Amino acid sequence: MAPLLQLNQVTKSFGAVRALRGVSFALHPGEVHALLGENGAGKSTLIKVITGAHAPDDGEIQIGGETVAHLTPAKARTLGIACIYQQPALFPDLSVAENIALRLEKASPAHGVRWAERQARAKELLHRIGAEIDPAGEVRTLSMPEQQLVEIACALGAGARIVIMDEPTASLTQKEQYLLFAVVRDLRADGVGVIYISHRLEEIFALADRVTVLRDGESVGTNPVDEINEAALIKMMVGREVTAIYPPAESRPGDSVLTLKSVGCAGSGVHGIDLKLHAGEIVGMAGLVGAGRTELAQILFGLTPADAGEIQLSGKAVQIDDPRTAVAHGIAYVPEDRRRHGVILEMPIAANVTMAIHQQIFPGTWLRSTAERKLTLDFIRDLGVKAAGPQAPGGSLSGGNQQKIALARWLATKPRVLILDEPTQGVDVGAKSEIYKIIRRLAAEGLAVLMISSDLPEVIGMSDRIVVMRGGTIVGEFPRGADAHEVMAAALGQKQKEAA
Amino acid sequence: MQKYSRELSVAIVLALLLLVLAVTAPAFYEPQPLLSRLAREAPTLIVACGIALVMIARQIDISIGSVFALCGVCAGLLAGEHWPLVPVFAATVLIGAALGAINGALVAGLQLPSIVVTLATMVILKEGLRWKQQGAFINLPDAWQWFGLSQRGGQFALIICAMVLLIALAWATKHLAGGRFLYAVGSNAEAARLAGLRPRWVTLVVFVFMGVLTGCAAFLNVVQSPQVDPKSGTGLELKAIAAAVVGGVAVSGGRGNLWGVFVGVLLLACINPALTYLHVEAYWEKAIQGAIILLAVIFDGLRSRKPTT
Amino acid sequence: MSTPATTSNPRGKIGALLFRHEMILLLVLVAEWFYFNSVGRRFGSLDNTFDLMRHSAEIGLLALVMTPIILTGGIDLSVGSLLGLCAILFGKLWRDAGMSLPLAAVCTLLIGALAGGLNALLIARLRLPALIVTLGTYSLFRGLAEAITRGVDTFTNFPTSFLALGQGHTAGLPTQVWFFLAVAVAIWLLVHQTTFGRSLRAIGFAPEGARFAGLPVERRIAQAYILTGVVAALAAIIYTARLGQAKADAGTGYELLAITAVVLGGTSIFGGIGSVHGTLLGVAAIAVLNNGLVHARQPREMAGMLTGALLLAALSASALPKLLAKFRPPRQSASPSS
Repeated sequence: MAPLLQLNQVTKSFGAVRALRGVSFALHPGEVHALLGENGAGKSTLIKVITGAHAPDDGEIQIGGETVAHLTPAKARTLGIACIYQQPALFPDLSVAENIALRLEKASPAHGVRWAERQARAKELLHRIGAEIDPAGEVRTLSMPEQQLVEIACALGAGARIVIMDEPTASLTQKEQYLLFAVVRDLRADGVGVIYISHRLEEIFALADRVTVLRDGESVGTNPVDEINEAALIKMMVGREVTAIYPPAESRPGDSVLTLKSVGCAGSGVHGIDLKLHAGEIVGMAGLVGAGRTELAQILFGLTPADAGEIQLSGKAVQIDDPRTAVAHGIAYVPEDRRRHGVILEMPIAANVTMAIHQQIFPGTWLRSTAERKLTLDFIRDLGVKAAGPQAPGGSLSGGNQQKIALARWLATKPRVLILDEPTQGVDVGAKSEIYKIIRRLAAEGLAVLMISSDLPEVIGMSDRIVVMRGGTIVGEFPRGADAHEVMAAALGQKQKEAA
Repeated sequence: MQKYSRELSVAIVLALLLLVLAVTAPAFYEPQPLLSRLAREAPTLIVACGIALVMIARQIDISIGSVFALCGVCAGLLAGEHWPLVPVFAATVLIGAALGAINGALVAGLQLPSIVVTLATMVILKEGLRWKQQGAFINLPDAWQWFGLSQRGGQFALIICAMVLLIALAWATKHLAGGRFLYAVGSNAEAARLAGLRPRWVTLVVFVFMGVLTGCAAFLNVVQSPQVDPKSGTGLELKAIAAAVVGGVAVSGGRGNLWGVFVGVLLLACINPALTYLHVEAYWEKAIQGAIILLAVIFDGLRSRKPTT
Repeated sequence: MSTPATTSNPRGKIGALLFRHEMILLLVLVAEWFYFNSVGRRFGSLDNTFDLMRHSAEIGLLALVMTPIILTGGIDLSVGSLLGLCAILFGKLWRDAGMSLPLAAVCTLLIGALAGGLNALLIARLRLPALIVTLGTYSLFRGLAEAITRGVDTFTNFPTSFLALGQGHTAGLPTQVWFFLAVAVAIWLLVHQTTFGRSLRAIGFAPEGARFAGLPVERRIAQAYILTGVVAALAAIIYTARLGQAKADAGTGYELLAITAVVLGGTSIFGGIGSVHGTLLGVAAIAVLNNGLVHARQPREMAGMLTGALLLAALSASALPKLLAKFRPPRQSASPSS
C-alpha cells in the first residue's frame, strides 16, 4: 500500500539555523504515527512543512503517491491534511457552527451562506465525537477542552485523510481524553493517517502504531511501538541515558508554614479546602484539568481572593487580596502559562528576574543596573540557565530556560511558600530533570513547595505528600510513593471513600 | 433573541427618546423638518456602516472625515467642469476607493497599525485640501441640488439610497461568505489564515470598501446644498465611530451588526433636535454625545464581564 | 544544538534599531535645520528659536505625557479637549469665581487630575478599551467646555504678570520652556530610570504577565492617565498665557499632533517599546518643520502634509525589520534547547 504521506530528505533552514536536516517520514493509511522529540528538535517545523505553512528548502513531499511541488495551507487542505493545534485556532466571537463552516467551506466571497446547513452539519459532527456542545453558542463561552473538541470536529468534517494532532490532550480532562482516543481509533479504522505529537509517553504507547523520534532536526529513527520501550525512547530523544530523572528525596518536613481552613471562592468554584504545607516539604497536587487546582493556586496568590475560610501563615490569619499582598507574605506562584504569564518574552532576562522585587532591589524606585545584573548573573549560574546574558530577551530562551527564569523571579522574592503550576509542561526531558533537582534543592533549603501537575509520574516521583483535587475541593491524600492507580482513581472520583 | 439584546437595548433607548419627544415636543414630528433631518443624516449613516465594517475586521479608520471632504470637493470641481451627474458620482466613488486602497495597502501590506496610518493620511489629506482650496466653497450648477428633483423628492431619493445601501450591507454581512470573512478576520486573524482565508486581502478590501462608501456618502452630501463646503467632513470620523460603538460594534473586532449601527446613528442624530425641542441649549450636544459613548462602552464592559464571574 | 548566530543577541539588535530610529530622526532634524537656515534668512536666529520653542511647548507637554500612556499600550485622545476644558475653567475660576490666579491655577491642575482620573477609572479599573473611552471623553470634555461658555464666552484681560508666563523670558529662555524642560526631565527620569517606567513597559508588552508578576497594573495605568490630566491642565494654563485668552476651542487637534510626535519618536503604538528622548526628537522635528516652512515662504499646510508623510515614512521604516524577520526562524525552533 502506498503511503498517504511521504517526506524524502526534507531540509529547512532559517538563516543559519538548520531546523530540519534531511528528514524522511512516511505515514500509512490507518496508522497512528507518533512524533516525539525535545522542544526545538524540529517537530513544529516538520508539521508546518506538512501543512504548507513553511516551504522546505530541499527534499520532496509526496501526498497520496504524487509529488507536490508548492504546498500552501490552502492546497494542503484540499489534499486532505488537517491539523489540530495545541492552542485552538478558533474565532471566539462566532458560533460553533460558523467556526466549523469557515474551516470546511471553500466558498468565494460572493457565495451565499446557508445557515441551516451549517447548523445541521455542526450538530452532526459534534454528535459523532460525542461532544455535548451547542452549535449556535459562541466559541468564547466554551472551555479550552471544548474548543479542542470543536477543532477535532473540524478535522473530521474536512474528511481529512491526514490528521495532525499537536499535543491534543494537553488541556483535556480524562473523560475527554478517552473520548479523543476513541475518535482517533475511529479515524484509524476509517483508513485515516494520524500524526500524533505528545510529550506523554504513556499516551504514545496506548495509541500509536509507530513512533518517529526527532533530534536536532534529524530523524533518529522510526520504530513500531511494540518493539520499543520507554527507556529506549527517552534515550533516543535526549541522546543520552537519563537514569534517574527524579532526584532522591532528602528533605525532612519542618514546621507548618501555610494552613488553609475550609478556604473557598465562589467565583472560581473552589470550596472547603483544608490543607497544611510544611517547610521543606514538597506537596504534589494531582487532579484532572478543571478540578480547581490552578484556581486554588490563584486564590492563594490573591489573583482571585478567597471569600470563605481562613488562610494562616505560620499560625497567623492573613487576608490575601492581590498578588502584592501574597508576595509580601512570602507566597510565590509560578504560573502554568509560561509564555503569557510566567515570563515577559520581549523584556530582558534581568528585568524579568527582578520584576517581583522592585521595592527591595530598587529602593526609592530608582533602577540600579549593577545590583540587577549581579542578581541575574547569580541566578543564571545557580539555576544553570543557558542564555546569552542578562540582557537577552526572555523570548530568546528555550521553554526549559524560560521556566528557570520564571522560577528565578520568584526565588528572588525569598518566598516561604512556592506554588508551582505545571512546572514542566512543554519542557523537554533534559530540562525537566534539572528543574526537578532545583525544586528538590529548594525544599531542602526549607521552602514549602506546592506542585500542581497533571503528569502523574512527576507528582509521584517528586512529592513527599500527594493531595488530589476533584470538583473544586480536596478529595484525597497520599503519602510519598503512592500507587499511581490509586491517585488516578481518586482524581477520577472512583473511590468516594477517599474523600472522607 | 438574546443574540441581538445589545442592539435591542439601544433601540429601546431610542424609542424612549422618541416617545418623550412625541409627548413633550410633537413639533419634532412635523414631516418637512423631519425629512430634512433624516436626509442630512443619510451620509453619516453610510459612513457609519463603512466604519462598522472596518471595526468588525478589527481595524479603525480616522481618515474618513478627510476623505469625505476631499471626495466632496472633487465632485464639486468636476461638476464645475460640466460633467454630468453619473460620471461625477462614479469618479467620486473611485477617488474614495483609491484613497481607501492607500490606507489598506499600508495597513495590510506593511502590517502597520491602522490607527496611526489613518492618522497620517488624515493629516496629509486635510492639509492638502486646505492648501488647494484655502477654505473656499465651490458653487454647483443649478441642476445639481437634489439631483435636479424637488427638494422633497431629492430628500426622499437620498434617504432611499442610504437605506438601500444599509439593507444591502446588512444582508451581505450576514448572508454572504465575504461578509462573514470580515467577522472571521476580526475575531482571530491567525485562525482565519489557518482556515485558508487571506486576512491581508480582507483588510485591504475592507479599507477600499470604506473608501467607496465614503465616496458615496460625500456625493449624497454634495447634492444637498448649492455649494460644496471643503470642511464638511470635520469630525465625521468621530461621529461615525461613536454611532458604531453605541450600536454595539466592538473595537476589539468580530462583533456587531449594521442594524445596531443604524439605531446608533438615529440615536445620536436625535440628540441635537431633542435638545432644541426640550429647550436645552444646543451647546450640550457634544457633551451628551460623549456621555452616551461612555455609557455604551461601560454597558458593554459590564456585560462581557458577567459570564466570567 | 542550533548555532547561536541568529539567536545570540536579538536584544542588541532591537537596541541598535531603536538607536538607529532615533539617529535617523536626529539626522532628519539636523537636515531640516540646515535647509531652513539656508532658505529662510531669520530662521536660525535666537529670536526665532525662542519663538519656535514657545509655540511647541504645549504640544510638547502633551506628547511627553502621552509617551507613558502609549508605552502601556493605551492611548489618550482626550488631551486636546481637556486642554480646552481646563483653559476655560481656569478663566472661569479667575474671572467669575474671583479666585486669585495662583489659586485658580492650582484648582485647574486639580481639575485636570480629576478628568484624567475619569479616564483612569474607566480604563484601568473597568478595563474598557482606551481608544473608545478617550474618544468619549474627547467629546465630553470639549462639549462641557462649549456648554460652559455657550460656545461664545472668551476669557481675556489677564494681568501682564500672568501673561509673562506665556510671552516673557526668564533666565534667558521663554518662561514656559522652563516648565517644559522640567516636565521633560521628570518624565524622562520616570520612564527610563524608575520602576514606574519599567512597569509601564511590562504592562505594554504583556498586561496579564505584569499582573502575574505582582506589579500594580491598575495603579500604574491609572497614574499614567492622571498624570496626563495634570500636565494637560498645565499646558492649558501656558496656552492661555501665551495667547492671552481662553476659548472653548483651545487645543483642538492637539491630541493628534501629540500622538504623531510620540509615534514619530519611535514609540510603538502597541506598547512596550519607546523612549522619551525619541518623543522629544519627534516634537522637535514637527516644530522645526512648521516654523521653518513659514520662513521658507511655503504654504502653512505644507507642514501638516510633510508631518504626515514623515510619520508614514517612519512607520514604514519600522515595519521593514518585521518583514525581514519573517525570513528568520520562529523563536521556538531556533532557540537552543537545553
